[in-house]
Amino acid sequence: MKKMLTAAVAAITAAALAGCGGGGGGDAANVNPAGKVEPRRISWLLSRPANGTVITVMRQLADEYAKSHPGFSLNLITTPDRPSFIQKYETLAAANKLPDLFDTDATPFAQKLARQGRMLDAGKLLTSLGLYTSYRKSALDYQRFDDGSLYTIPFEYQMEFFWYNKALFKRAGVKVPASLDDMPATCAALRRAGVTPIALDGQDQWPLERYVAYQPFRVAGPGYLGKLKRNDAKFGDPAGQKAANWLGALGAAKCFPDGFSAKGYTDAQNLFTSGGAAMYNIGTWELSSLATTKLNPAVRADVDYFTLPTVPNSVTAPNEFVTSSGIGMAVNAKTFDPLVRDFLKFALAKYPAAYAATGALSPTANVKTTIPSDATPLYRRAVDQANSVGTKLAMPWDTQLDPTTNTRLQQELVLLVQGDIKPGDFTRTMDAALAQNAPKFFTK
Amino acid sequence: MLPHRSRLAVLVFLTPPLLLYGVAVLLPIVQSLVLSFFSWDGLSDMEFVGLANYTRMLTGDAVFWRAFGNALGYLAICLVLQVGGALVVASLLASLRRGREVIKTLYLLPAVISTVAIAFLFQRIYSIDPAGLLNQALAAVGLGGWQRPWLSDVHTVLAAVSAPEGWRFVGLYTIIIYAALLAVPRELEEAARLDGASSWQVFAHIRFPYIRPVFATTTIMAATYALRGFDIPYLLTNGGPGQSSELITTYMYKTAFTSTDYGYASTISVFIVVECLVAVGLILLVLRRKAHR
Amino acid sequence: MTTYAPAKAPARAGGRPHKPRRPSRRPPSPARLASRVLVGALVVVQVYPLVWLFLTSLRTERDFAGGNPFALPTSLTFDNYARAFGHGHLGRNILNSLIVTMGANVLIVLCGMMGAYALQVLGFRFSRVVRALFLVGIVVPVQIALVPLFVDYTRVGLLDTYPSMILPLAGFALPMSVYLFSSFFEYIPREVYEAASLDGAGPYRIFARITLPMSVNTVVTVVMVNSIFIWNDFIFANTFVLSEDLKTIPLGLQNYIGAMGKTDWTATFAAVCVTVTPLLLIFLVLNRAMIYGLERGASKG
Repeated sequence: MKKMLTAAVAAITAAALAGCGGGGGGDAANVNPAGKVEPRRISWLLSRPANGTVITVMRQLADEYAKSHPGFSLNLITTPDRPSFIQKYETLAAANKLPDLFDTDATPFAQKLARQGRMLDAGKLLTSLGLYTSYRKSALDYQRFDDGSLYTIPFEYQMEFFWYNKALFKRAGVKVPASLDDMPATCAALRRAGVTPIALDGQDQWPLERYVAYQPFRVAGPGYLGKLKRNDAKFGDPAGQKAANWLGALGAAKCFPDGFSAKGYTDAQNLFTSGGAAMYNIGTWELSSLATTKLNPAVRADVDYFTLPTVPNSVTAPNEFVTSSGIGMAVNAKTFDPLVRDFLKFALAKYPAAYAATGALSPTANVKTTIPSDATPLYRRAVDQANSVGTKLAMPWDTQLDPTTNTRLQQELVLLVQGDIKPGDFTRTMDAALAQNAPKFFTK
Repeated sequence: MLPHRSRLAVLVFLTPPLLLYGVAVLLPIVQSLVLSFFSWDGLSDMEFVGLANYTRMLTGDAVFWRAFGNALGYLAICLVLQVGGALVVASLLASLRRGREVIKTLYLLPAVISTVAIAFLFQRIYSIDPAGLLNQALAAVGLGGWQRPWLSDVHTVLAAVSAPEGWRFVGLYTIIIYAALLAVPRELEEAARLDGASSWQVFAHIRFPYIRPVFATTTIMAATYALRGFDIPYLLTNGGPGQSSELITTYMYKTAFTSTDYGYASTISVFIVVECLVAVGLILLVLRRKAHR
Repeated sequence: MTTYAPAKAPARAGGRPHKPRRPSRRPPSPARLASRVLVGALVVVQVYPLVWLFLTSLRTERDFAGGNPFALPTSLTFDNYARAFGHGHLGRNILNSLIVTMGANVLIVLCGMMGAYALQVLGFRFSRVVRALFLVGIVVPVQIALVPLFVDYTRVGLLDTYPSMILPLAGFALPMSVYLFSSFFEYIPREVYEAASLDGAGPYRIFARITLPMSVNTVVTVVMVNSIFIWNDFIFANTFVLSEDLKTIPLGLQNYIGAMGKTDWTATFAAVCVTVTPLLLIFLVLNRAMIYGLERGASKG
């Protein structure tokens, strides 16, 4: 009897869980549903700082909208810590309980959601709202899936630079590296002068993973990553091999601090802003801490930046580097109704001006960023740089590769840079991981 | 057993706990067990794969076995620190005449601090650039050669992530064992001492046999918590560098919530359950056998 | 667990000739001195983190960024506390954590005691099966229950409520509680029950009049152990709570995380210091209760 009971429980369980996968989508292409705007509470699951600019601005706009639409409210559910957010997001997706709006990168997981019709076609939505053309091309491109489809809306625009300390460069007698290939030598010279070459947040994984993207982007262009993630290219190919060798060389030249793998974001930034490290690879979201008169006076005047160096025979231009528009916002196709549309129409039209007024770069090209009163001249230079960005995007690899291969890559990279494994071991391990995992996400 | 028990009374007392336990624990476990025979990414339809997940885990997954080895190392370090440490500290406490209560409370303090703060503190303690407390201390006693980035060195990281977990709960186990030690009749000890028994003999022949049941409980608690240990390794190194501090639990968590491979993650957790049951069985076996000697 | 019985033997074997105690005032022997030093050193090791936490919460940001993290702060500031309160909902978080911790503890203690009573004192035919079931719960990793539980709670409308946190926290702590109570009930001499039974007391009366009052000490132990874990639980709260109003302390601490993982550590530590206080107070109170319980137990032994 007990056996029968167990079998019954098993059957029910399987049915219960299976009912939650798949299905449940609305019409992903119907961006202008018929019906009246009926105010209600709408929810947005996000992964942005609780008191950050995006949330503050959107909250103000929601309050404004609520004045003319009594009964409306915007419920912001934020989990700033990315791994915790992802766990929550995936659990909600598995239970088919994603809220009206939710943040996601253009990951393979999100692509599955889109394929099931659970996300609204953001390209069509923005077009129908008359906003599509106001966005920076690269801001939208960053959000796209491989097939060019667009399912998420950007709320920011960031460029990633190598910030450096001019005084420390001078002390070591080095110049800004003209080529990526020069970086190991630059590091070695800085080390000889007793300076930590590059501050690195090893704990969050993504900062080191940026470095694996650089060489392939310069020698083979963005296409390499597109093929690699589908297992149509290999880490053992010349571009991947060059990246592995270069990272091995960076490690051998002791570019990164001892024990970087256990250093956090704040540690890395503090190392740079206290004059302990000569370089720091970070995006314009830190402009307000790096190009400000509040910065430690000992380094304030010495801080400058350079963009991603090229290599000889580079297939991408110097003005093409990592530019991102951050995690995007998807619209749940199932709960999309005239209210959500009306609110987005209101909020997205007003958002760029309000956002740019805070000193941040808007994902649209139709507003001017207000330079804060406490900014150093570097701030304006960085903001102006956004106008001359090229067309090819250096995508960060962490949102592109399948998650299992990506996790493995992050682990192996640390070993490679620490000198625990050789570049050859690295490419072998990674190619095996890729062959095992990529097909599960990309060949359906 | 009570002479006047009734079927009804058993039901009355047993129903609430079983209900709570059934709904909150057994149901999801059964659901997980079922999931372990499926391939499911949370989005697509579930696909029955039979024992494929188990075959993959046992024969085709090097990371899993690496994590298993690490988990055993982690268990060993935690057990020595927690149970061994607690026994020593509780004995020391029992020998004090004043201030025991205050000291006991103080020993518990690390357990109440959130793991986020603990992880942050230990990152600094283990740091080499700038030199953290541990490396400073080594230099101060002339062992500068031993300085290293403890959390980045593949040879030391496992011990480095185990120690905070062990240390954090020493106080808790100390209190449990100390309470048991207090119940040891003083007359017995005094008598043995007067008969010329050494401190060690008093401990081995009187105290320890007396507290053996509590000691077994404590060991089981510590072992199962250690085998399920997650927070501190996850926060300190997230399993790295490479897979040097990957535990089965962190690996399972990543498999479930990074790779969204819920079926395989369930298989791994079934393994954790089996592994813990074996550990509990072994502990009971060892401690019972001694008790019967 | 009845196999533990032999361990009690020494208690009854105390029939050796009693010799008069020596005077208790002895000069401290070297061993005794060493053990005191060791105890003192351990106090430092155990207390230091809390002191460090508190000191760091008073550091200025620049001192925190550039200074030696183990040196004394060069200047003190309460700005971090201002930011901690300004950016978060600390009061609300503490209240929620209290509700969850107390709710779970009530369930854990009541259900644990009842289960142990049924298993250990009443006894029944399938008690071994039930024991084995509870054993499984002791050893199962909680992470794997997340997805099934989430799906289940969504279906019955429990998502984003206090019970969605309390139930799994209590459920997963229950086996250990049953185990601890069982071990303790074993120590209550059978003669006590037999005497009560002869007086005509039924199982409910015996539970209320004998078992319950005698278990204070174990209740305190169970509550203390569980409060620590529940107070700091992140994983269930993060999975089952969506609204700001229900966030517990570990979730509230996330309010100090900024863009791309940049964390306002000094404010976080200030918040940790604030939020750890209620737990510390509970501890101090319970510690007293535990001592009373122990002394009572000793006088009866």
